[in-house]
Amino acid sequence: MDVTVQLILNGIMLGAMYAIIAVGLTLIFGIVRVVNFAHGEFLMIGMYAVYLLTTRLGFHPYATAVPVVILLFALGALVQRFIIQPLLNADEHIQIFATVGLSTALINGALMAFGADLYAVEAPIARQTVPLGPLNILVGHMVIFVAALGLVAGLHLFMQKTALGRAIRATAQNRYAAQLMGVKVETIYVISFGLGAACVGLASALIMPLYPATPTIGTYFVLTAFVVVVLGGMRSMYGAFFGAMIIGIVDSLSGYYIAPDLKEVVYFAIFILILIFKPTGLFGFGRGTE
Amino acid sequence: MKVFMAAALAAGLAVSAQPVLAQQVKVGALYPFSGGLALLGDESYRGLELAVEERNAAGGVGGKQLVIIKGDAVDPNQAVGEARRLTSVEKVPFIFGSYASSISLAATQVAELAGIPYFELGAISDPITERGFKNVYRTNPTAKDFANKMVDSIIDAIAPALKADAKSLKVAIIHEDSLYGQTVTGFQVARLKEKGLNLVETLPYSAKSVDLTPVILRLKSAGADVVLQTSYQNDTVLFFRQMKEQGLKLKAVMGAGGGYSLTDTMKAVGAENIEGALNVDFTQYKTNPAGAPGIDAFVKKYEAKYGIPPRSGHSLANYMGSRVIFDALATAKDFSSAGVREVMMKIDVPVGKTPTGWGVKLDAKGQNVQASPYIMQWQGGQLVTVFPPGAAVATMKVGVGSN
Repeated sequence: MDVTVQLILNGIMLGAMYAIIAVGLTLIFGIVRVVNFAHGEFLMIGMYAVYLLTTRLGFHPYATAVPVVILLFALGALVQRFIIQPLLNADEHIQIFATVGLSTALINGALMAFGADLYAVEAPIARQTVPLGPLNILVGHMVIFVAALGLVAGLHLFMQKTALGRAIRATAQNRYAAQLMGVKVETIYVISFGLGAACVGLASALIMPLYPATPTIGTYFVLTAFVVVVLGGMRSMYGAFFGAMIIGIVDSLSGYYIAPDLKEVVYFAIFILILIFKPTGLFGFGRGTE
Repeated sequence: MKVFMAAALAAGLAVSAQPVLAQQVKVGALYPFSGGLALLGDESYRGLELAVEERNAAGGVGGKQLVIIKGDAVDPNQAVGEARRLTSVEKVPFIFGSYASSISLAATQVAELAGIPYFELGAISDPITERGFKNVYRTNPTAKDFANKMVDSIIDAIAPALKADAKSLKVAIIHEDSLYGQTVTGFQVARLKEKGLNLVETLPYSAKSVDLTPVILRLKSAGADVVLQTSYQNDTVLFFRQMKEQGLKLKAVMGAGGGYSLTDTMKAVGAENIEGALNVDFTQYKTNPAGAPGIDAFVKKYEAKYGIPPRSGHSLANYMGSRVIFDALATAKDFSSAGVREVMMKIDVPVGKTPTGWGVKLDAKGQNVQASPYIMQWQGGQLVTVFPPGAAVATMKVGVGSN
């Protein structure tokens, strides 16, 4: 019994980690309508930035969240402005090639700059466990969980209450109508892509104390994040959050009760089942919106 | 006039170059020099390079100087291309290689077809010498040797250190689920059965896992005493970190080289957390020179040439293998396929007489049957040899980490 509760708890924590990454991916997909295959590599860049700030400038890994979020926002905005924008009216597969190409270039760039070695930061607090009766919970995981809740709540307020948020939602609903209403769609896209990348910036500051950075670290997280995004209904932030929780818990339980190497099989099976019965995902906007 | 001068000059050069060429023997060196495998590929090559320089300083092979012709094989495709270039364009009489098993498996096929001897000094995949090839020779131990050594050490080293009966220990295997992990695990399971040990769990996982807690809780539920892990670097780090977080207490944990051998793994995990972890691998540098004569001299030569201490044991294994092979080639009547095979089969170096401590005696398949990996242990942030006793520099401890 204790084991099951421990596994569910772990799954929720794992889900929170996927949620932060998946929310960023959802923002980019839902608003700019681009599948960003370089999302994991943004995470990788963020983690190296956290490493450098921590070891060279003496920041605490968590304190790097502020500069790294700004850095990643800028990176995302630049990628949108100079790589995606010129291709906005091109075929979807050309946009896909652009982000896949960017991903390959970034991985190899990191290999050249840092080599294949792994880089870890010292953050003893994050790796401390807090005993909760018979259960163990990691401080670093709790921080991620709180941050994930805060991120979704914050973005919700931003989208609902601010003029910019309304403009972003309008653009997501109908690009041309928004343009007719005086929304500068291209600026909105640059901001949205930046926001999506900034989420990954937050994720990198929170993940770095738990996982060392390597050039391919992004690929560890991002495939799951894609599953989460589709499961959540492609364009829904809340869907992404709950999708991440489901995947996290399934991942954790099936790893123990079935087999650690079959957990992907289990969550892909659940994924396919959900899509059979609800083709637009858990929080989809109904047929035709995609 | 100018043309005539140039022609005369060229002719003169050709004439003067001719005797020099006859005094040389080309040595093909096929390693990954660029790409993701480059670091340890280059480290492996340095062993060969030092052996060649040493041999040339001592007069070469049969009075001829050795000249290395490099081939850069980043992946199996390029390995085929470069092996073809070495055999047909450069016309090398033999090739040395290759660090990575995938590269060796591809390149040896080209060499076999061309009838050119291929000397493998570092790749561990068993099938390299199990395809009935007549021109492939390997001086290093194989994956099966690694697996057997890990299982045997439970009986020979771990159980005595714990003062326990080996058959009473609960053994679990965890491994990453690609070809590397599956191969080693397959051999381990067979050996465990053969030795009648108690295997309680075999848990494969993806090397890209971001959470090994389920694996650790399974080990906890099964009450595992000894864990054998075949892993890369990231999953090794994750396992040690999460083992501490979940309070898993093991009597011993042993890795099959890979992630366990790297200093960066120790740094990422923390010296106090990896303390006591055992590892089976090629001979490393914290080894007793009495069991590995020449290891000190090698390290000195290496530092003199490259300005840093050796980055891993790969260079030593390649150095040792190429030295033994050059000794054999010096006695060959020619470098034809048959001529080389004849001298290779005659090699008989006893265990404990080479810089790696390995002996050399090839079986009919060309595989060295006298090479065995050593057991090392992380102690105070250093990977020290603890078994066999002849090569040990420290006594084996029990327990893992600060748990």
